[in-house]
Amino acid sequence: MRARLWPELSAFAAVAVVVALLPRFVSDFRARELAIVGMYFIALLGLSILTGFNGQISLGHGAFMAIGGYTTAILSVDGFFGHQLRDLWTIPIAGLVAGIAGLVVGIPALRLSGLYLALITFGIAVSFPQLPKEFDHFFGGTTGKILDLAKPPFGLGTTTNNWIYYLTWGIALVLLVAAWLLVRGKTGRAFKAIRDSEVAAVSAGISLPRYKTLAFGISAFYAGVAGSLYAIANAYVNPDVFPIILSVYLVVGLAVGGLDSLFGMIAGAALIYFLQNHADTVARWINHLPALSLDPKQPGIPSVVFGIVLIVVMVLLPTGAGGLVRKLFGLLTSRLYTRS
Amino acid sequence: MGVRVFLVCAAVAVMAVASAGARPVATPGVSSDEIHIGSSVPLSGEAAIAGNVARGIDAYFKYVNDKGGVLGRKLKYTYLDDGYDPGRAVNNTIRLIQQEQVFAVFSSLGTNNNLAVRKLLNDAKVPQLYVSSGATTFGRDYKKYPWTIGYIPPYSEEGEIYGRYVVKNIKTAKVAVLYQNDDYGRDLVAGLKRGLGAKAKSIVASVGYDPTSSDVQPQVTQLKASKANVLMVFAFGKFSLQAFNAVSRLGWKPQIFVNDVSSASSLMAIVPQKAANGSISIVFGKDPASPQWAKDKGIKLFQSILRKYGNGTNSRDLKDGYFTAGMATAYTLVNTLKKAGKNPTRQSVMNAATHLTERGNPFVLPGIVIRTTPASRYPITQVRLQRWSKGAWRTFGKLVSAKPG
Repeated sequence: MRARLWPELSAFAAVAVVVALLPRFVSDFRARELAIVGMYFIALLGLSILTGFNGQISLGHGAFMAIGGYTTAILSVDGFFGHQLRDLWTIPIAGLVAGIAGLVVGIPALRLSGLYLALITFGIAVSFPQLPKEFDHFFGGTTGKILDLAKPPFGLGTTTNNWIYYLTWGIALVLLVAAWLLVRGKTGRAFKAIRDSEVAAVSAGISLPRYKTLAFGISAFYAGVAGSLYAIANAYVNPDVFPIILSVYLVVGLAVGGLDSLFGMIAGAALIYFLQNHADTVARWINHLPALSLDPKQPGIPSVVFGIVLIVVMVLLPTGAGGLVRKLFGLLTSRLYTRS
Repeated sequence: MGVRVFLVCAAVAVMAVASAGARPVATPGVSSDEIHIGSSVPLSGEAAIAGNVARGIDAYFKYVNDKGGVLGRKLKYTYLDDGYDPGRAVNNTIRLIQQEQVFAVFSSLGTNNNLAVRKLLNDAKVPQLYVSSGATTFGRDYKKYPWTIGYIPPYSEEGEIYGRYVVKNIKTAKVAVLYQNDDYGRDLVAGLKRGLGAKAKSIVASVGYDPTSSDVQPQVTQLKASKANVLMVFAFGKFSLQAFNAVSRLGWKPQIFVNDVSSASSLMAIVPQKAANGSISIVFGKDPASPQWAKDKGIKLFQSILRKYGNGTNSRDLKDGYFTAGMATAYTLVNTLKKAGKNPTRQSVMNAATHLTERGNPFVLPGIVIRTTPASRYPITQVRLQRWSKGAWRTFGKLVSAKPG
């Protein structure tokens, strides 16, 4: 057991050190971008627990992010019975509200699996954005809710972006450890048993309803926290902030990260952020290739680049970043064993 | 141990360099030879076609730079794609002011997109210049948002002009209204009611649609059932196309009024002409697709600039009104920057933008004077009516006022 612990512990230590030091080496705005990567990372951790470890597919995690984001926006703009909450304290509440929504969704998920579950969750992703439009007095309609820009608390002399960065990655690291402990423990073993064979799991005495809804609830909690942070960082929510495509991007990030690799999710998160916001940069790189010329500002080019990069990544890394790392570690450890 | 020492040293070194480099800059985005301007526009997604506004601006700035720039400084222009998504507009705008360090945000497109960033731009005291949206709030609420100013005629006044036209010219009018259910559509409807005045009761049906819905055919069918003889199309982009298609398919023959932002010739030319013929709209810019301006100096200038500086543009773009609209705003911005003085500051450019008297903008209709005061922040408040016939818009009547209050 101890032999298998050290790679993950050292990986965690490495991530923590990088996270702590990175803002010193990058511009204030990059810190903000890295913070948003951290938010996707949190959402992907949740999705990894659900899909990677429990085998349930969700195409609706954007909706849970939206629930988290709206909870934060409403509590900090309109307040709770006239008492506005500080953005910081809305984060756990947003996670809980989304988590409860996840538990509720988990119930029909008991009867469905595979493609059918994917469709149900996709239905949630499609229908949730309609709610704020229907009840526009409460949710702000398509115009949305405009929050105050986040300010560092307790008189901390740092910039807004650095504050959001440390807040996000601090939470992300805590949630990473929590996810890691969860999947290593009894619950995680039950999750994996269900993923590998429901029949075998039931015959081993594992309660399907309990663990499958629990996985949904935990997973949605993560998404809710991510959505809440996203609302704070952007100081704005409306239905388009959490579009249907966001749910698809999350699944893309999950695949790129490598389904059941918690650390791999960092790569997945970075890719979806980068492709959404810097596809024009990639287009400029592509222009360096011979016989190609793309105008990065031409309508539609960023989306095309997004698609191409995605195809290339999935062809090269069918098991995602996590699979790649595992393969490298495999080579390393097998060599160690043969040497001894 | 060695690594840790190295890291600490590196961190200290970086911080030292950073603090040495962080000399106070007088005005972000203005250097001795450059002024940096930024926009967030849709280059992808449903409204991507309207992103040509930014490409028009880009071409015009390059043309100005070739002629020596603005008081010796070149204009640098950065425009980012938001896919018409306000969330991405927020992200882009933060990137523009923090990363790109632009002097001002200019001509970003979309009502909700501009609403989403208005507070943060005003908090940061960054000018939000010549917003590409006619929502009345951008000109009206300057006391709360002093760093914001609109550009195109306010939607409420546009609606009022249609209302007044109906009262004057159409007897026994029964009006049906299709509107986008946000500030843009609602402003137009409110104005229409004001324009109809005592005859506001002639609105027999009024149906909103959600800006993310897929089709407005059901709404048009519902409107037709009201037996109206006038139809107001207060719908954007594809929804306006769908409305014309539905009217034609249903064999309905109302007098159609279509709002300015979706009346581009490129759109009107592809809808069933049976429905489109005789449609009325307002206009303030010269339409490069209309034969009316084929020999106009302004349009000739527009086409020569686009040919020379329009990176990757084709012959169809030479007739695209979104490019002209971009150049019209860019022309006004250049004048504003000149007026802001030799060493423009964010404050001085806001001053200039709120004390404009610009005559002879080559890309807007002759006779239009672009005028603002600190208490009247609607740069364009004169328009003409136009009618669609034989595949082109033709203006008629005199300049009318679209000035609020």
